[in-house]
Amino acid sequence: MNLLDIRNLSIELIHDDQRILAVDKVSLSMKEGEVRGVVGESGSGKSLLAQALVGVLDDKWHVHADRFHWRGVDLLRLSIDERKALLSRDVAMIFQEPMACLDPTTSIGEQLTEAIDSSQLTGYFWQRKKQRQSAAIKLLHKVGIKNHQACLTSYPHQLTEALCQRVMIAIALARRPILLIADEPTAAMENTNEGQIFRLLASLNQLKNMSILLISHDLETITHWTNTITVMYSGQFVEAGTTAQIFGKPLHPYTRALVDSSPSANLHLPAKSRLKTLPGSIPILQHLPIGCRLGPRCPRAQQACVKAPTVTNFHGHKVSCHFPLTPLKSTPKKTRKGTS
Amino acid sequence: MSDLLEVKDLCKSYRHKSYWFNRKETSVLAPISFSVEANQTLAVIGETGSGKSTLAKLLVGAEPASGGCVYLNGQALKSTSYKQRCQHIRMIFQDSGTTLNPSLTILQLLDEPLKLNTSLDEIKRKELIRTTLQKVGLLGDHMNFYPHMFSGGQKQRISLARAIILQPQVIILDEALASLDPSLRSQMINLLLDLQHQMGLAYILISHNLGIIRHFSDNIIVLSQGEVVESGKTRDVMNNPQHKVTKKLLMNQSFQLKPKRK
Repeated sequence: MNLLDIRNLSIELIHDDQRILAVDKVSLSMKEGEVRGVVGESGSGKSLLAQALVGVLDDKWHVHADRFHWRGVDLLRLSIDERKALLSRDVAMIFQEPMACLDPTTSIGEQLTEAIDSSQLTGYFWQRKKQRQSAAIKLLHKVGIKNHQACLTSYPHQLTEALCQRVMIAIALARRPILLIADEPTAAMENTNEGQIFRLLASLNQLKNMSILLISHDLETITHWTNTITVMYSGQFVEAGTTAQIFGKPLHPYTRALVDSSPSANLHLPAKSRLKTLPGSIPILQHLPIGCRLGPRCPRAQQACVKAPTVTNFHGHKVSCHFPLTPLKSTPKKTRKGTS
Repeated sequence: MSDLLEVKDLCKSYRHKSYWFNRKETSVLAPISFSVEANQTLAVIGETGSGKSTLAKLLVGAEPASGGCVYLNGQALKSTSYKQRCQHIRMIFQDSGTTLNPSLTILQLLDEPLKLNTSLDEIKRKELIRTTLQKVGLLGDHMNFYPHMFSGGQKQRISLARAIILQPQVIILDEALASLDPSLRSQMINLLLDLQHQMGLAYILISHNLGIIRHFSDNIIVLSQGEVVESGKTRDVMNNPQHKVTKKLLMNQSFQLKPKRK
């Protein structure tokens, strides 16, 4: 059974009597213990998708879905309160600027103990405070902060960015979530810190069997850490498959361009040669092209592209394109493991 | 061929304002020396607080150096000669959205360095702005627009236009590619490489992304706590790192090149 199964999720914004489809029929499914990456450039709706999952979007956004199942429970049939209770128990989220997300006026210790659910504590009310404190220390140890006393008493501005992100992860772990949504957890971070955070997330995934939805704008930073990847462009679903499929044998012209444009993926490329790119820039929400939104930039666009393509499943490798790079009729070759 | 930009024993330290006799100094940048030739790119890498951005500020003249000298074409640049410096050494910043004044049109933005540094009349200035905008892949008519009308990638192109409009010899890119989306970033790299080819520019590239550095730069210096710990040809340093700081930096990114093995 899938942990999360979303079919045709659309998010609409009504602005001056105009309907803007910010996310257009995106499907996403996750298995238990899976690390799934969601890749898309700015404006691709990947953060909106995550926010819709947790249910923190405000009233001006309208979310529709054909199917929205969480561990077999149809969330669309539950009332808002029931849905909130279920999701807040099982899903946690961390955000991209940890320093900005933590409260600057309260100490880390207070923020951390606040997140600990009182149902986890046993004993009488006079023992509670001590238990909370020790639970907070345990959480800090879990995320690899050894000097817990100094950390608990300090304020967010006194810690480095990587430490703040660890604290955010500790707060997210307080309710023992089954799914952790990480919305660009390492944006604007140094390489060494980035590695630390990803290694921590990977170890949590392995030890606690926690599923992780890793959202990033850069394909190359997350490929090492994910099992499967979903690629989005400008609010539309582009391609989904295992990391090796996406990276080694992309079917969609957009994914191909992403892989080609990353210099670290193409080591054979001579230095200072031109990189392959798509022309043009990302369309803004007010002026989205009809049909396939990549259309004006796509090198393979033809007349049929003014209609939005349907998703074709190709041995678990889903692609949404009229003219995918490998013709679908031929039988796909087995993807080699660990190809670059 | 002689070096275009040569830096000798450049250093920077900040003085704490405490007691008169008990002055303390923190050294941010130990005396460092390097040189850049025309048509070449020098990459600077290092961890946070290693003095990368301080180096950029010193070179461009935003902060006075505590010691050492910068030679451009064999001629020493004094810390007071702003005019000479801003004609020849230009800088592009990380966040293109906040470096452009939102209340000025692109014409006014690009006009400012021309007014201050050249003696061209208005018609010639306008013509120069038009050709510069075309050079960075925008339209000449874009000059009547305000910065908010452009997307992030286009704003970065405008900053590039502002940098090259005075025909400089050195451009400093302080994390200028980090905030761009991947497809726009490769467009920008292509553009920078083309301009380097056409105008013989030298770049000093400060970046985290080792993939870009490997692709883009000829020489590299590795900074750690204000000191140069390793320098040389990019290819040699990347393939055979010697110092442990370099090894650590490389290790953290080299595994990102291949997908996870099952």
